[in-house]
Amino acid sequence: MSEMWINMGPQHPMTHGLWNLRVKIDGERILDVDPEMGYLHRGIEKISEDRHYNEVVTLMDRSCYVAGLNWEHLYILASEQALHISPPERAEYIRMMCAEFQRIGSHIMWYAAFVQDIGLMTPFLYGMRDRDLVLDLFQSFTGARMTYEYMRVGGVRNDLPPPFLAQARKVLDWLVPRFKEYDELCIGSDIFHKRCDNLGVLSASECVRHGVTGPMLRSAGLKRDLRKDRPYSMYRDVDFDVALADGADVTGRYLVRMEEMRQSIRILRQVLDWLEHHPGPVMADQLPRWLGAPYAPVGKEGYVLKRNYAKGVGFSSIEEPHGEAQAYVVNEGSERPYRVKFRSPVFANISAARQYLVGYRVADIPPIMGSVDPCIGEVDR
Amino acid sequence: MQPDDLARTLSPKLGDLLLGVEPFEGMAGRVRFRREGALDLFRVVRDDLSFTHLSMVGGVDWVDHREVFYVAWSDSLRQYLLLSTDVPAEDPRVESASSVWPSANWHERETWELVGVSFDHHPDLRHLLTPDGYAFHPLLRSFKLHEPEELEVKSRHV
Repeated sequence: MSEMWINMGPQHPMTHGLWNLRVKIDGERILDVDPEMGYLHRGIEKISEDRHYNEVVTLMDRSCYVAGLNWEHLYILASEQALHISPPERAEYIRMMCAEFQRIGSHIMWYAAFVQDIGLMTPFLYGMRDRDLVLDLFQSFTGARMTYEYMRVGGVRNDLPPPFLAQARKVLDWLVPRFKEYDELCIGSDIFHKRCDNLGVLSASECVRHGVTGPMLRSAGLKRDLRKDRPYSMYRDVDFDVALADGADVTGRYLVRMEEMRQSIRILRQVLDWLEHHPGPVMADQLPRWLGAPYAPVGKEGYVLKRNYAKGVGFSSIEEPHGEAQAYVVNEGSERPYRVKFRSPVFANISAARQYLVGYRVADIPPIMGSVDPCIGEVDR
Repeated sequence: MQPDDLARTLSPKLGDLLLGVEPFEGMAGRVRFRREGALDLFRVVRDDLSFTHLSMVGGVDWVDHREVFYVAWSDSLRQYLLLSTDVPAEDPRVESASSVWPSANWHERETWELVGVSFDHHPDLRHLLTPDGYAFHPLLRSFKLHEPEELEVKSRHV
């Protein structure tokens, strides 16, 4: 049979967003792939140059719409380094709490979408049901379920409402037995293993060569987790294990994400205990007044620096649900960042698609790409 | 690893292509180099200093010149390293890192189309986030947000 190129996307159930996977096939066999991105490019990095530091937070929620708080966390850490501001300890703990709840929310969302890719409909509904509880928690202290706009340079917008801690513990208690249910539906099923074992294999050395990070890397057995290796916020003070698997395949990525959710619950219990016993301010005092100034577009004069504050460059790197996310913020002494650059983990993970797709069959693409957990908002930015 | 240790390893191999090593908060250091020494530096950083994972490549437009920066991670040192080089605005090009770190491929494509820095010997320098034929580099300072540009977009496959 002759070779041909087919388009999977931009509208295809496998894509989980707007992108196009061009596949060169010979019959059912994949010979080559060429991912095409850019359908969701909104120029977030460019728009950031025109916004005050705190206004960029709004764009971060839209950067990855299932892990908005992680991206806020990432950007705020880099901005604080660039602006020489340090937040109070309680704010750091609240951010960590947000990041871990968001990780659970993102992984459950991944679980729901992934199992649907391999043909299981019931777990999808279970996943969406449980994720809603996490979103309810976010709503109780940020007012929003998806675009939170909660973190600020120097702290977080508001403290937690009084009933929050009890509610959060209740959600954690509910989630623990649910993960067992998830496993019974997937790991306990022969169909799951037939669809997922030894599929999309990418060894640890290939992962490092091609910049693949996060659950994909840890499923290959390489123990790299930035929360442990390069602790930011207060991760130094909490106790948890790095989730690892050894298959380097789709099943391995499933196991890593499930274990990560259990470890997140472990972290959250410690963080909630700390928050209960350590009331305090959630915003740094003596912040420069212009940080709260309302938005005014840059006028005809262009990017003229109106004020002259201390300059600086900020860099942050966090373990986002999808992998290693980085922000690089250049502060040139104005109230707006001079340049903001983000590194999206999914961007790098998809760029290696040729390495883990070629040689498999067309029907294997949905489970393999599902196991990558593509979030196109953060790839295209 | 400290900036002094980096300089001790790098300066005998690179000579005057190395412009200096500065401290950088949260990283092993910031290495400034001349663009002519890019490939030599990348190889030394990867093989001798064990920074095997290239996290990101990006660019900054400083109007009179452009800066290209690279962030690399070492699993054995558990540290990041920042490399940066300046290229003149009238001839913005630097050697591609793809032959040393294959992960640089897409990051360089993005930097090329958004910041307008070209990468020599890049295996596949095509548009990634913007449409084919898009003639602007949006992250340059000369690209104004509030003055819409005339734009003609070609289809990619027809």
